[in-house]
This record gives sequence, C-alpha cells and structure tokens, in this order.
Amino acid sequence: MSQSPILKISGLTARVADEDIEILKGVDLELGEGEIHAIMGPNGSGKSTLAKVIAGHPGYEATGGQVLFRGEDVLEMEPDERSQAGIFLAFQYPVEIPGVSIANFLRTALEARLDGDEELDLFDFQDLLLERMEMLDMDPSFAERPVNDGFSGGEKKRNEILQMAVLQPLLAVMDETDSGLDIDALRVVANGVNTLRKEHPEMTVLLITHYQRLLNYIRPDYVHVMVDGRIVRSGGPEVALELEEQGYADWKDKEQEAAAV
Amino acid sequence: MTEASVIETSAPAEGVTETLNREAVERAAAQEPTWLAERRAHAWDVYERTPLPSTKLEEWRYTDVRRLLDLDALTPAPRPEAGTGEALLEGLDGLPAGLRAVMAEDREAAGHVAIVDGCVRHVDLSDELARQGIVLTSLARAVQLHPELLEEHLATHAVPPEEGKFQALNAALWADGVFLYVPAGASLDLPVRVSRWLSGGGLAVFSRTLIVAEAGARVSFVDEIVSDDLDAQSLESSVVEVIARDGAQVQYVSLQRLGHRAFYQAAQRTLAGRDATLDTLNVSLGASVARVDLNARLLGPGANSDMLGLYFGDGDQHFDHNTSQDHEAPNAHSDLLYKGALDGHAHAVFRGIIRVHEGAQGTDAYQTNRNLILSEHARADSLPNLEIEADDVRCSHGATVGQLDQETLFYLMSRGIPQQPAERLVVMGFLGEVLSRLPLGGVVDKVTRAIEVKLRHG
Ligand SMILES: Nc1ncnc2c1ncn2[C@@H]1O[C@H](COP(=O)(O)OP(=O)(O)OP(=O)(O)O)[C@@H](O)[C@H]1O
Ligand SMILES: [Mg+2]
Repeated sequence: MSQSPILKISGLTARVADEDIEILKGVDLELGEGEIHAIMGPNGSGKSTLAKVIAGHPGYEATGGQVLFRGEDVLEMEPDERSQAGIFLAFQYPVEIPGVSIANFLRTALEARLDGDEELDLFDFQDLLLERMEMLDMDPSFAERPVNDGFSGGEKKRNEILQMAVLQPLLAVMDETDSGLDIDALRVVANGVNTLRKEHPEMTVLLITHYQRLLNYIRPDYVHVMVDGRIVRSGGPEVALELEEQGYADWKDKEQEAAAV
Repeated sequence: MTEASVIETSAPAEGVTETLNREAVERAAAQEPTWLAERRAHAWDVYERTPLPSTKLEEWRYTDVRRLLDLDALTPAPRPEAGTGEALLEGLDGLPAGLRAVMAEDREAAGHVAIVDGCVRHVDLSDELARQGIVLTSLARAVQLHPELLEEHLATHAVPPEEGKFQALNAALWADGVFLYVPAGASLDLPVRVSRWLSGGGLAVFSRTLIVAEAGARVSFVDEIVSDDLDAQSLESSVVEVIARDGAQVQYVSLQRLGHRAFYQAAQRTLAGRDATLDTLNVSLGASVARVDLNARLLGPGANSDMLGLYFGDGDQHFDHNTSQDHEAPNAHSDLLYKGALDGHAHAVFRGIIRVHEGAQGTDAYQTNRNLILSEHARADSLPNLEIEADDVRCSHGATVGQLDQETLFYLMSRGIPQQPAERLVVMGFLGEVLSRLPLGGVVDKVTRAIEVKLRHG
C-alpha cells in the first residue's frame, strides 16, 4: 500500500461490554483508499464483532489497540459521528423499524449531515432515492414502506445497499450482504456496488463473506482469513479459492494444537 | 370536638363544597324545562350518595383522586348568559388568541364549534348541510329547539349519572356543550370540528357532547381541547354520548392538549346499532392528570367499533385510560389499539375489558395496549381483561411495556442520525401506527406536529 491507509486497525482487542467475553484478540488490518478487501472465516470467529466495533456498537468494548479512519481515532466517536465521517456498515441482520418509512429514515440521515442553516432539497432527494432504487431493481413503493418491517431476508439486504448508495460512504463494511440473496438478486446488488465504485473510485470496501460466489462479482484486491478473533492469513484473491477447496480445517487444527500446548 | 357531636352531625357528602353544591344545581336549572331540572336534581342526589373514588376500587387503583384533585379550590366556570340561546353567534375575532391559533391550523370542515370554559361561543354549519336537516348547535340552545331529542338521549341510556361520581357531577352541573344531529341517510364529507379552550386556573368546567346519527347517516367529529399551562388546578369534565343507529358510520376523535395543572376527566360512551360503524380515537398529550373512561357498546348485530388511543406523557403527567368493549349482540366486531410513549416521570395506566355478553355469538373482539418507556423514571401499568359468556367467539388481548431497543437505536445512529433525533424517529414510528389506522384529514398532521413539539422540548 503506497499512500497512507484509509482504515488502519492495529492490535485491536474487544469484548462484550461489561462482560468478560473476549472476542477480538489482536486484529491487524490495513485498507488503502479505493481497495476491496474480503474477510472470510468460520462462524463465530469474530467477523461481525469487528464490523460492529468499527461502526461503534455500544454492546462491544475495545479493550486495546487502535482503529484509525483517515488518521483519526474512531473508537472515541459516537456511531452517528463515524457515519458522518464516512463509515457505513451493511448489517448482517438489519433491524426492523416499525412505522418509519425508508424515505423518512434516509431523509433524516441526510438532514443530519447538513449544517445548521442548510436545508435538504426534497425534490433532489426524491430523485436520488428513486434513481438508487431503480439501480437496485427495487419497486418505488418500497420508499414508503417501514424500514425492514415485514421484508424478506433478501429485501432487507437490498435495503442495506440502498442506504449505502444514498449515503455514499468512503468506507463500506458489508457484513454477509450476500447471504439470503438469490442468484439474480446477488448480481443486482453486486452490480450496484460496482456502479457506486465507478462513480466514486475512492470508496473502499470491506466484504465479509463465506462464499466465493460474491467475490466473482465484486473482485477483491486482498483476502484475509479470521479465526478465533485474529487475522491468521492475508493474501490475494487466490486465498478465497484455497478456502473454497480446503475449508478452515487447517486453521482449526493449528488452533487446537496451540491450545493444547 | 366531642364524640357525641360527631355522632349528631351527619357528615357532609363527599365532594360537596362552597361552590359545588345543591344551590349551584338549582341555579343551573332555574330557567330550564321541568324534565331537565328534575334530571339535574336527580343527578345531584346520586352525586351526594356516591363516595369519591378511592384507590381501593380496582378501577381507580392507580389514580388517587383524593390526592390529585382538590375540589374545594375550584369554582364552576360562568354559565352561558341568558339570551345567548337566541343570539348565539359571535365572530371568531372575539375568541381567545390561543383558541384562534388552534382553529387556524385546521383544514376544511363541515362546521365549527368554538367553546371557551365550557360555553359555546361560536357555531357555524354550511347552509347546504342545514337544509339536509343536520343540526349543529350548543346544548343550551338545543334544550329549547330540540327538547324531545334531548329528553330521549341526554344523560339517559348513554352516560346516566349512576355511572359514577364524575358522571353524576357533570349531569347535575353541565353548563353547555355540543349537540350534533344527523338525520337518516344524511352524510357529511368533511368533519365537524370542535375547538375548546380552558382559560385559567381554579375553574371547574362541565361540558357535554351529544351526537345522534340516524340510520345510514355518516359523520366524523373532531373534538379538540387546548389550554396554556395554568397557574392553579382546573377541572375539565367532559361527557360524550355518541349514538349510531342502524348502518350509521360515525368517527369520534378527541385530541387533548391541555396545559400543566389541568385535571381532565372524560366519560365517553358509544352505542352502535345494527351494522353501524362507530370508531373512536383518543389522543392524550396534555394535562397533569387525564382520566378517560371509554365504554363502547355494540348493541346491534354486525356492529363495528375500532377504538384507537395514543398518549405521550412526560414531566409528571399521569394518564389513566379505562376502556370497555361490551358485545351485547351477535356477530359484532371491535378492535382496540392503544399505544403510548412515556418519558420523564410520566405514568400511564391502561385498563381494558372485553365483555362478551350472553347470546353474542360470532363476536370478534381484540384489544392491544403497547407502551414504550423512554426514561428510567417513567412507568406504565397495563391491565387487559376478558369476560366471555358466549360460545363461538374470537377474542384476544395483549399488553406490552418495553424500553427503547438499543439495537434499533444503534441501527439509526449508524446511518448518521444523532441519538435524540433517532429516538424521536422511533417514537413517532411507534405511535404512528395508531394514526395510520384513522387517516382523517388534518388529524394526523396535527397530532404528529404536537408530538414532535413535545419530543423536542422533552
Ligand atoms: N453480545 C454477545 N454476548 C455473548 N457472546 C457474544 C456476543 N456477541 C458475540 N458473541 C460471541 O462472539 C463470537 C463471535 O461472534 P461474531 O458474530 O463476531 O461471529 P462471526 O464471525 O460474525 O460469525 P458468523 O460467520 O456466524 O456471522 C461468537 O462466539 C459469539 O457467540
Ligand atoms: Mg457474522
């Protein structure tokens, strides 16, 4: 990585807030501007926890190390401040908000980004929203539906990417956006992400996934393997292909050996 | 005082004061027809022999009237001046500015009534509706113009004085109110809007509303009450009687936005005939104490009542909603949804009962109360209940008291929305479900705005 990384995580340890459950055990990771990184790893290895710690989930507590976003320590920032600074998390399990429409939700999120005397142009907003929905092949009627309320699994995932497309972050962390999507939907969502990247080549993407399939559509520059709260291997796209063949057995064995010592 | 003298003196009846007494009732009845004077006197008898509700009564367990209401400090608001029966109308210009502001927010209406301290000060109804036989007038005037209708319906089969202490007091001392009559088959496309104003502290205001919709008639009625914060307690007592004959469709909406120190007491009863639809919405946002008793009686087969409620309390507000759904005929349907959010030290009580009477087969009755607690000092008590004496019925009831969900808050904040606006959004979404079920022109906007103002100041 030539220039200074947009996200630099070093020695990050984290636990469940107020409990003695350590989940991240020293994560090191650097993402350069405009790069695509993928994190893979067995269930329960801490991938979502890492994503949530980056976004500022109050249920987790960083106990050591650093997370620098564009050189700034984000661990001290509130989740809304991180979002406004340009961090976006597409949730593995998006939350339902009864009674709050997608349009109202996104309008509020954009308004929160304005200075005190600025006002959001509602026509521009409407245009942007409709254009992004079209890009993601979503029916315009979704704009008035309550956020995720009664959505199918795939619709929820698509809605995450819609929000990302409207908010246009500098860093998009996508936590298993591919799970729950059918083959066509996966292609639509991946195309959406690629279109956004064309519009904003500086956007950096961190994909968390279990499957090579997504990586065929959104091609990563780097693939990392997370096991038991640590990045145990980093490399090029070939790492994902190896995992597809061999699974995580190797790593788990090593872990057990380490534990046995 | 010696023991002997205690025995000799019969204790004065509870709630009889320097100004709330039999003389006041007699003054009210002085120029009225005999049937009404007798009705007031009877109501006062009932009042005197009914004790003030104590918290030992299940229905008043959480609302201690003896502690919360000081009747001795109240004076009845002045009655309508004699003669207003004829020359009732006043231009809107003479009304208090606060009341005019409330009316200015409103959209179109079929007619308006403006009320200050319980006395009607303005009425208008379009000529075209008047030609159809629709009557919208003050109760004081209706006593003269429509005695037969009032004699039949006023404080008789809907809310008789025997219903309780406050119902009796209101029936004895009511000063004025609204009378709406919609003849068979007549239909109002726009709502009738009533705007009430309470002008100050130390007052006891007794007002009634009587709505009669004949067979197949259609009308909606928005009843709003507002005041500034008061310098001393006032009692605003409101009795609402709504009668929907066979196949009539009636919506009654009450928006309560009284100021601090107001004690609001409302007794509402709806009577739905065969295949009639009689829906209600109660919005409680204001007053220090608000006690609303709503009894929906489904009297005819196929009758239908949606009962919606919404409350949002903060500071030290206390709301007590007491509802009942009486299914007295087969194949009727009622669906109640009351939702409230509570901040600060606010306390809300919801007590609801579905009673399916003998012979009411094929009843569909539902009842849901949901509370969202926003602060560690706020509290909600929810007591749903069922009493079923018929077979082949579908009934359900449910109650929840929950906190603001942390996962939801994080989701909103992760999109850049700061904590307070995020909380506002969740609360509006939570309460909005109620409003979306009754999309009456102007009401949704008005209530939404009022809640937003409260959320911002909280
Ligand atoms: N709030 C919590 N309380 C207790 N344990 C937790 C909590 N949050 C996470 N964990 C535990 O931490 C570990 C890591 O969880 P995490 O969700 O980060 O895994 P993951 O790598 O995303 O797994 P998956 O691939 O299944 O999504 C798991 O064992 C999980 O049970
Ligand atoms: Mg996960």
